[in-house]
Amino acid sequence: MSVDTKRHAAVVNRVDPLEPVPVLVGRPDDRELNQTLFAPVWAKTRKGWLVLFALALALTGLLFTAIGYTFAVGIGAWGNNIPVAWAYGIVNFVWWIGIGHAGTLISAILLLFQQKWRTSINRFAEAMTLFAVIQALLFPLIHLGRPWFAFWLFPYPSTLGVWPNFKSPLLWDVFAVSTYFTASLLFWYVGLLPDLAALRDSSKSHAKRVVYGIFSLGWRGSARHWRHYRIAYLLLAGLCTPLVLSVHTIVSFDFAVSQLPGWHTTIFPPYFVAGAIFSGFAMVLTLIIPARKAFGFEHVITEKHLENMAKVLLATGLMVAYGYLSEHFIAWYSGNKYEQFVFWNRANGPYAPVYLLMLFCNVLVPQIFWSGRARRSIWVLWIASILVNVGMWCERFVIIVTSLHRDFLPSSWAIFKPTVVDWSILIGTIGFFGLLFLLFLRFVPSVSASEVKELRRELEHEAAPPHPVERAAR
Amino acid sequence: MSSVKRIGLPVVGQDGPDDAPDCRGADGRRHWRSLEEWSEGAAAAKAEFPRGAAFLPEALTRRGFLQMLGASAALAGVAACRPPRQEIHAYVRHPEQALFPGNPVPYATALARHGHAVGLLVTTVDGRPIKVEGNPDHPESLGASGRLEQATILDLYDPRRIEGFTARKQPKAYRTLLRELATVAATHEKDGGARLRFLTGATGSPLLLDLRRRISERFPRARFHAYESLTEEATADGARLAFGRALDTRLHLDGARIVLALDADFLSDGPSALRLAREFAAHRTPGPDMSRLYVAEAHLSTTGAAADHRFRMKPSEVLGFARQVAAALASSQGLGDLARIAGDAKPTREASAVAEDLARHRGASLVIAGPRQPAAVHAIAHAMNAALGNAGKTVDYAAPPTEEPAGPRQLAALAKDLAAGAVETLVITAWNPVYTAPADVDLEALLTKVPDVLYLAYRPDETSARATWVIGESHPFETWGDARAHDGTVSIVQPLVQPLLESISEVELLAAFLGEAEKGAYQLVQDFWRARSGAGAAFAARWGTWLAKGVVEGTAAKGEAPTVRFADVAGAAGQPPPKAEGLEASFVVDKLDDGRFAENAWLLELPDPITTISWDNAAMVSPRTAQELGVETGTRVELRLRGRKVDAPVFVAPGHADGVVTLPLGWGREAAGPTATNVGFDAGALRGSQAAWIEPGLALAPFGKRKHKLVQTQEHFSMEGRDLALSFDARAWEEEGPKRLEHLRGAVNAMYSPFGYDKQAFKWGMGIDLAKCTGCNGCVVACQAENNIAVVGKAQVARSREMHWLRVDRYFSGPPENPEVVSQPLMCVHCEAAPCEYVCPVNATVHSDEGLNEMVYNRCVGTRYCSNNCPYKVRRFNFLEYQKGKAPLEKLRMNPDVTVRYRGVMEKCTYCVQRIERARIAVRASGQNKIPDGELQTACQQACPSQAIVFGNLADPESRVSKMHQDERRYDLLHFLGTRPRTAYLVRIRNPNPALSA
Repeated sequence: MSVDTKRHAAVVNRVDPLEPVPVLVGRPDDRELNQTLFAPVWAKTRKGWLVLFALALALTGLLFTAIGYTFAVGIGAWGNNIPVAWAYGIVNFVWWIGIGHAGTLISAILLLFQQKWRTSINRFAEAMTLFAVIQALLFPLIHLGRPWFAFWLFPYPSTLGVWPNFKSPLLWDVFAVSTYFTASLLFWYVGLLPDLAALRDSSKSHAKRVVYGIFSLGWRGSARHWRHYRIAYLLLAGLCTPLVLSVHTIVSFDFAVSQLPGWHTTIFPPYFVAGAIFSGFAMVLTLIIPARKAFGFEHVITEKHLENMAKVLLATGLMVAYGYLSEHFIAWYSGNKYEQFVFWNRANGPYAPVYLLMLFCNVLVPQIFWSGRARRSIWVLWIASILVNVGMWCERFVIIVTSLHRDFLPSSWAIFKPTVVDWSILIGTIGFFGLLFLLFLRFVPSVSASEVKELRRELEHEAAPPHPVERAAR
Repeated sequence: MSSVKRIGLPVVGQDGPDDAPDCRGADGRRHWRSLEEWSEGAAAAKAEFPRGAAFLPEALTRRGFLQMLGASAALAGVAACRPPRQEIHAYVRHPEQALFPGNPVPYATALARHGHAVGLLVTTVDGRPIKVEGNPDHPESLGASGRLEQATILDLYDPRRIEGFTARKQPKAYRTLLRELATVAATHEKDGGARLRFLTGATGSPLLLDLRRRISERFPRARFHAYESLTEEATADGARLAFGRALDTRLHLDGARIVLALDADFLSDGPSALRLAREFAAHRTPGPDMSRLYVAEAHLSTTGAAADHRFRMKPSEVLGFARQVAAALASSQGLGDLARIAGDAKPTREASAVAEDLARHRGASLVIAGPRQPAAVHAIAHAMNAALGNAGKTVDYAAPPTEEPAGPRQLAALAKDLAAGAVETLVITAWNPVYTAPADVDLEALLTKVPDVLYLAYRPDETSARATWVIGESHPFETWGDARAHDGTVSIVQPLVQPLLESISEVELLAAFLGEAEKGAYQLVQDFWRARSGAGAAFAARWGTWLAKGVVEGTAAKGEAPTVRFADVAGAAGQPPPKAEGLEASFVVDKLDDGRFAENAWLLELPDPITTISWDNAAMVSPRTAQELGVETGTRVELRLRGRKVDAPVFVAPGHADGVVTLPLGWGREAAGPTATNVGFDAGALRGSQAAWIEPGLALAPFGKRKHKLVQTQEHFSMEGRDLALSFDARAWEEEGPKRLEHLRGAVNAMYSPFGYDKQAFKWGMGIDLAKCTGCNGCVVACQAENNIAVVGKAQVARSREMHWLRVDRYFSGPPENPEVVSQPLMCVHCEAAPCEYVCPVNATVHSDEGLNEMVYNRCVGTRYCSNNCPYKVRRFNFLEYQKGKAPLEKLRMNPDVTVRYRGVMEKCTYCVQRIERARIAVRASGQNKIPDGELQTACQQACPSQAIVFGNLADPESRVSKMHQDERRYDLLHFLGTRPRTAYLVRIRNPNPALSA
């Protein structure tokens, strides 16, 4: 179902010269918004969705088969070796965690900065975050040699009388990522409550009413509910904001705290955070462009949103490029030949193609967004966003594998070659991510109806002539 | 002592008659096991487990089957390792310790290969031999052991071993076998053994030689033929040429300051390699008596890598080079005797420099000719040594145990008889002659002409498939016997365990032809030595000492320095060999010996000391020859030599001579077990009996597009300009060496004040002297044996997942045509500020209060972060369950003091913490608190023939390791990282001839 935007053309008569593209096209009323935004939930399952779902399910099956195989025979199922003891497992982990950054950033930080354009994409981005973090969380478990002892990483009063090693960045990782996941889940869920209640209220079957009823936690939309909701949401936003910065900072510590050339770098925390936001926004774009088309959300997720995200891509892309530049400069400036070799080896060693692909995707491709036309072109955006995702995966590969495979002693240098299981797990997580996302699109409103309604009122308020009292005051 | 005897259960194999009447226990009482025994004495007791009890009776009834089933179940627990039944004597420690469960007790024994023995101490725990060490009292071991000695223990527990005896496809019980052997022997008596032949390996064992003599007395027309594919015929011929009679050459590097090795890899190959490595290394530290080694050779050997000057040449050019040196000695050094030998040879600059150096050290120099070189080279070496006054000082000579050397010549004589159909019974005790025979002797076909081929076999192999009688052979650690070292010293071989599987030894097999097999090997060897040294009460005491010490004192042959017949030498060496077309084939021995170690997984996985190739051999060529031939590493080529051909992968080897293809022997077995079949290629298939080692006229043609995957444990050989394995020329070292190490040692800045260890009695540390290390890789196998390190196989090595805790890094520098080599043994260096420790999230790797970096397997969850953060990359991860699927027999080999690691767990060198704890317990039990320096050795240290590795207590300023840490040559690996490793390295010093380096 789509909205007749022409009907409201007359209402939108004022065009802000600074914001020529509106964040909400037309002025749909609440009923219309409910109809459009809840349509994917109430409508019959579409064929396209089924096809995608089947594909995602198959890939998920591949993922868990590969994980099962790894558990059965050991990490030897992967291509890891000595010296490359970390490879795809950690590359994928860092990649997914990075992707998981956009959601919280959009939801929390932009909320605190009162950016209106966040409204229609925040739910989407948060869900993406959550599902990306779920993918990421798989890896610390499955990359262990003995995953059945993974609980030893948690500080619990054990009869062994042994605590985890609080000096280890891997332990900080456990805390950071699990905190991030919990906070993101809560933030997403709290934001969902009004919409879940709306779904409950508009349910046509008893079963659905019961299910949505349970998940909406008795939301009735009273003023007191709204008040508490507002406080909770704002507090969570405040809590999530430092997390956006801390999670990837701590993930970067896994590398920065070690003494391996190519890892042992103080620029890693900011550089990783910038990279994470970069890849997160790219992933939001990759997903939202087809989704808004399929569900006809063009009027709520407008060109304005896409353009803003393109700008973020350009900005963070430049930060990432600065990171690369700085790394190389410091390696040269330090005079440390081990450090210098690592960066020489990235560009000239056996993994040089990955390095060049990374530079192309992460440094060159975002430059296209200097052009306004490119920012507003759906196709350019979509392809660029995919390339950025590829580039960011390559970046993690370059950091992890190329630093490890040739370190201090040339006698232990070796080549890492991924196995079928490595590829299956990478592709499988993409499938699993897609599966969760498709379920989300089908059963939960992917654009926050309550917030869009709020936005509409805010916009109407701004658009309306000033109140007589106000005018008098002027 | 007799309590040891009491542990022995009635077993198969080796009951000596002396054992029978004596059933007394430690308390002196006579014990009985059944009323029958009580009434009839020991005769009944012996029959309690009759021979052949392990075989199913022929007519098996249902009732009988159930009885057997019940009995088997009841007795299942009885099957266990048993110490030998006869009295064996522990080395140094009191044998009573053997009775405490779990106590390791070393026993002295000896292991002979190609007729030369090395004295060993074999550690036994609960009746299981688990570890081999060298016997410090043995002149050819001096406490050291090589990779082959170390790896022998793995063969003992090989599940592929032959169990029992088969005659004409029928399984035979022990007694039946002996009876039938006696019958076979009897049939030969009437014609004096005219149709009886024996094919044996080389031996120096006095007992075996005596048995041969007695068999020859009984069967005057029978013949013994000794064959070894790694023949030393040329060595023997060279001595005959120079001295007019067969003599063994015995080298003494102790007094040698200038050594010229003519294609001789004396540091890793040959009967005295362990002793020579010790003597060589003793003079490799800077100072007035530092030695200088010149090596002339084709492929880069460990000796070549240790050389100060290495002259790269074809093997066939070595003779010319020797003549040039002789010419230079004659013309400018006034050794006129050599003039005729040199002939018209014109000395090159190198030859002149070598000659000058040799002449300057008369009586303190040495020329060594390798066994691969023709007799003329040996003769020239003898002549030069005599002329230089070295004979009697750095080299002496003694009569060999057998006149005629084992080799193709003796085999050819046998082949003639076989072809003529003149042999009815052939007894083979040589190792796998069908495989090792020269390609022009088709032993496989010839054996079909012999009605009875008796083969004493350890495993099913190429020969056993053609033998009509396959007789299970006991492992050397399961038998009684004696063995002779190269210098003549005899050791009594005492068994460490009863045969694990039913088998007999060569001694018993030969005794069967004298009708004395029933006596058993123990009785035979004891009788023989009693006859030799006089019976009586004194013999028992002497016997006990021999066993305990591992050597029979006073048996070393006296050395002499006979005069050289210069005229004869000149006659043989006068003419240089004609130049031949094509490539030169050069056959070499590598880690598999003649192939008898081809099924030893430790050795297969052990990287080659120079190429670091694991699980393969390759046809090695120089970079230039490879370019000319259009081949590169991995290219598959067809090698043709005199109509024989074989397919092999190429390896482009640095330091290799041009125009030569080096072909390592012992690989490419066809009828070996799954670990060894078709691993590598069989270079022996190209080898003729005339030119066993060097033959010109080799053709090499690449074929196929697909390359053979050669896996190497080290793929990068350049140090990339980093300060890793350091070496200095002696002069540069004198001038400024220590100063150039200043930034590589000493205190480092640290945020935290370092832990003091002031109150600790022990502070462990290690020192490795690169000047002494020859890179032989013996330590790697010793470590593998001691620490239950898994073998992972070629596919895993290809993925860089080998598990060796200790690796020997090899770095090349200089031109690839003739590079300088430095070997650097590297295991966990036990950093004081260990990067691995702080990154482990579960505290699985922690520091001990004695400074060890400890790995807690139980706690490890396998994040592998520690390995990423280890700058030395010495940690090893169990990527798969590498120890899975072991046969019950294999499990017996495991060192019970060391945990067998599960998959998903990180592991690494522990500085042999189990040995530290053993030593600590022993010291505490005796009421002391100090472990004497040198008492406690790590496995690598103990094996090392050149004593390059020293382990000990840094808290004791007088300990050897403390002194090494104070040495001016000391430096730390990756010192700038501030890890403060506890293993210190001492730089290698080269001693090049200033006349040549200018």
